[in-house]
Amino acid sequence: MSINLIRSVALGLAVASVAIPASAQDTWPTGPVHVYVGFPAGSSPDTLARIITDPLAQRLGQPIVVENRPGAGGVIGIQQMLAAAGDGHTFGTTINGPMTTAQRMMDDTGYDVSTDILPVTLIATSPLVLAVSSASEITDVAGFIAAAGAEPQAIAYGSVGQGSGAHLTAELFAAEAGVEMLHVPFTSYAEVTTSIMGGEIDAGFMAPSAALPHVQGGNMRMLGITSSEPFPQAPDVPVLAGQAGLPADFRAELWNAFIAPAGTDPAVVERLNTEINDILSDPAVQEQLLAIGWNAAPGTPGDLAERIVVDTAMWGAVIDRVQAQQ
Amino acid sequence: MTTWEGLLYGIGFALQPEVLVYCLLGVVLGTFVGVLPGIGAMAAISLLLPVTYYITPEAALIMLAGVYYGAQYGGAVASILMRLPGTPQSAVTTLDGYPMAQQGRAGVALFAAMASSFAGSVIGIVVLVVLAGWLSRAAVAFGAADYAAMMILGLVAASTIGTARPAKGFAMVVLGLLLGCVGTDVNSGVQRFTFGQTELLDGINLVALAMGLFGVAEVIANVRDPERQSLSERIGLRRLMPTRDDLRRMGWPTLRGSALGAFFGALPGTGSTLSSFLSYAMERRVARQPERFGNGAIEGIAGPEAANNSASITAFVPTLTLGIPGDPIMALMLGALVIHGIQPGPLMLEARPEMFWGLVASFGIGNLILLVLNLPLIGIWVAMLRIPFRWLYPAILVFLCLGVYSVRGLSYDIAAVALIGLAGYLLALARFSPALLLLGFVLGPLIETNLRRALLISRGDPMVFLERPIAAGFVLATAALLLLSLWQAWHRRASRRG
Amino acid sequence: MNRDWPDVLGGLALAGIGGLALGWALVHYDLGTLRQMGPGFFPAVLGALLIGLGLIVALPALARSGDTPRFELGSAAAVLAAILIFGFGLRLLGLAGATAASVLVASLAAPHGGWTWRILLALTVTALTVVVFSYGLRMTLPLWPRLP
Repeated sequence: MSINLIRSVALGLAVASVAIPASAQDTWPTGPVHVYVGFPAGSSPDTLARIITDPLAQRLGQPIVVENRPGAGGVIGIQQMLAAAGDGHTFGTTINGPMTTAQRMMDDTGYDVSTDILPVTLIATSPLVLAVSSASEITDVAGFIAAAGAEPQAIAYGSVGQGSGAHLTAELFAAEAGVEMLHVPFTSYAEVTTSIMGGEIDAGFMAPSAALPHVQGGNMRMLGITSSEPFPQAPDVPVLAGQAGLPADFRAELWNAFIAPAGTDPAVVERLNTEINDILSDPAVQEQLLAIGWNAAPGTPGDLAERIVVDTAMWGAVIDRVQAQQ
Repeated sequence: MTTWEGLLYGIGFALQPEVLVYCLLGVVLGTFVGVLPGIGAMAAISLLLPVTYYITPEAALIMLAGVYYGAQYGGAVASILMRLPGTPQSAVTTLDGYPMAQQGRAGVALFAAMASSFAGSVIGIVVLVVLAGWLSRAAVAFGAADYAAMMILGLVAASTIGTARPAKGFAMVVLGLLLGCVGTDVNSGVQRFTFGQTELLDGINLVALAMGLFGVAEVIANVRDPERQSLSERIGLRRLMPTRDDLRRMGWPTLRGSALGAFFGALPGTGSTLSSFLSYAMERRVARQPERFGNGAIEGIAGPEAANNSASITAFVPTLTLGIPGDPIMALMLGALVIHGIQPGPLMLEARPEMFWGLVASFGIGNLILLVLNLPLIGIWVAMLRIPFRWLYPAILVFLCLGVYSVRGLSYDIAAVALIGLAGYLLALARFSPALLLLGFVLGPLIETNLRRALLISRGDPMVFLERPIAAGFVLATAALLLLSLWQAWHRRASRRG
Repeated sequence: MNRDWPDVLGGLALAGIGGLALGWALVHYDLGTLRQMGPGFFPAVLGALLIGLGLIVALPALARSGDTPRFELGSAAAVLAAILIFGFGLRLLGLAGATAASVLVASLAAPHGGWTWRILLALTVTALTVVVFSYGLRMTLPLWPRLP
């Protein structure tokens, strides 16, 4: 503490002797940094945040406190970040839902993504895999689409909730393949897995890390993956894009990003972006992320901003179609 | 590796000094957080999670598991002494445990809770070792229709416990079911009764509900109660040990409770809540003097405590054998393993036998530690009742607020505790049972979701409840139970007239 | 008249809650059909059930005599105020400040107190809370009041 204080005072003096900068960049951070996470401790988004914040704290020379504020699919985390904002030391990590689809699924999220939140950087992406029971007769995507096309709702699939990534991805898939499937919402991949293994439902789009152990255990089979490249954790699973009549640019990914409340000093955003991109280039960090099912995806604040706009439009169209069907 | 080899190997593993220390640490911390109102295993495990990065995955799992079942012991202490259950299953223990404490038999009640918890755990371990394969197949075989039918049976069986007038009991269950509807509806995604508040999207916070209904209501009712202030004077040290009659009464309920818990615990969901309530309902039904229940019947502690501890052991079956966590706490522990690069599932028994057998052995050792540790502590716990209530209650209030806050860090939830506490106080004045409200609240969303899911999967065919053998069994059992109750009521009325 | 007021009023209140839930569900949520239930089905059925059960509790109680428990207004007010002060004070006053304030308010309800006792109690509970939660369980909370 005292060493840090001396260091920052010394740094401040050194800088002041050269010029009188108005920017906070030279002294920031002056205290502990708070990173809000909209999921409980121990969850995948929380673990991801900690993989990033541990080295980040070393680089910033200040402790980082991860504030878990779980609820409403991550929306509460962002709300709480915005409520605590103002000291320039409050940030957040979030999955794509609260940044792209939440405004459509909820009465009022209490924030506007385009004006209240500054994108810092994308951290990682995760594809979903289409999985069926190993007892199923379906062995590839073409067979799956044929079975689903036999009659409407011939195939029942599970998701982790209305409007979840798993649900919207399946509906996007159905629309592109020209089939109609029966959606059965669950609350966790554990439930979806049990139901597929018990033969109650036929399939599900799942996080690779949730499906892999059961594939290795011989209870499930993966038919395809929604990313544009094969996923390192499951290199044998074919990408769905371009297969069995699906468009060549078919892609659906979940992502996780670092964000700041509006009003944060642009220099601080720039600094955070550089540091996090640097952390993400470390192979050890990439491996840690992969172990929990995430693929490191560094980029500029602009990249993230664009991703938000593109995904909001893409998922918005899927939501329109789902709501029209109901 | 045969079962015996595995067990011996596991015992050897769990007895290593380092592993033993983490086991001890886990169960002690578990007991401690279990006693603190509102702070449950969930909060303690999430707080401990960062520590587990630095120790071996086996030691980490053994420590976290120790917190998990250790918290059950602590929960019983808070329920019996202060009527402060942190979880729905320990709410059952308040029904007879608290009256016993009021009669000066707190020591006996604590002994009953600990002894039956230990017995339940041991039986759970035996079931885990012998029947793990069968239980994991059962867990997969259970479909939505089966769950819905099973929980309806549980609700019907348990809905008249803890109240003198059946209509008041049913009303509380229904109120609980209705409160369970608050939040985002799983099947349709519609936000029900949330009135635009994001904090309600995931429903009412269970810990806030339990703390408000029990803790806050209890404090308000007792602050000025002169009897509560001088309760300690009526407790003699002689009452610490159970009589021969107490021990005789505990035997069968403990066995029955353990069996119920061992089975329901293995089913992903709320096996442990359901089995505690069912065990209580069963004991009251088979008792010769059911009117003793609710007034300090030792069977009402022994059965449910055995059930929830047995369930907390077999809850590891789906987690370890299938890699499917049955509740959020199990999911947390699974996450801790995944961080270490270990994927629990069908392959774990072969790939990492030390993990499986070490954990199983640590259950036994951990529970033994708990028993040895807690029996001598009974005297100290009871001595706590000598502290005048006016010295205790402000600390209780602060602690329970922090417990609620620890769940998701929202002041909103603390404000909710105040509101629920007021409602809970009014319910207590009018003698409505908060335990039944909690039961309805926990089971309601599960019943609704599974009922609707079953009909969705069957494409709208209600016959699914009779065509699936498991569901049909539960439906028949429910019908039989209802007929039995009606017949008993008629019989009682007839004999009163005759 | 010495009726069984707790059951009468409790039953009526429950019936009222049931009525509100039923009405709200009917107006706002889709009922669906028995085969494909909508989000309103369950709440509506439960609301109707609660009306019935509430009346079953309340009506016979009208004809029954019973004793009326005392509503401890002072205790309730002090306890609830203490909780609210703690909840909303946590961010502003820090853990130590919120605990002390909350304990002082809660202690107003206690019989035969005194300010020496109250302050001693507040200090003890605050010390205990800080030790258990901040140092023991490592909850990340600001300890002291935030200076403007």
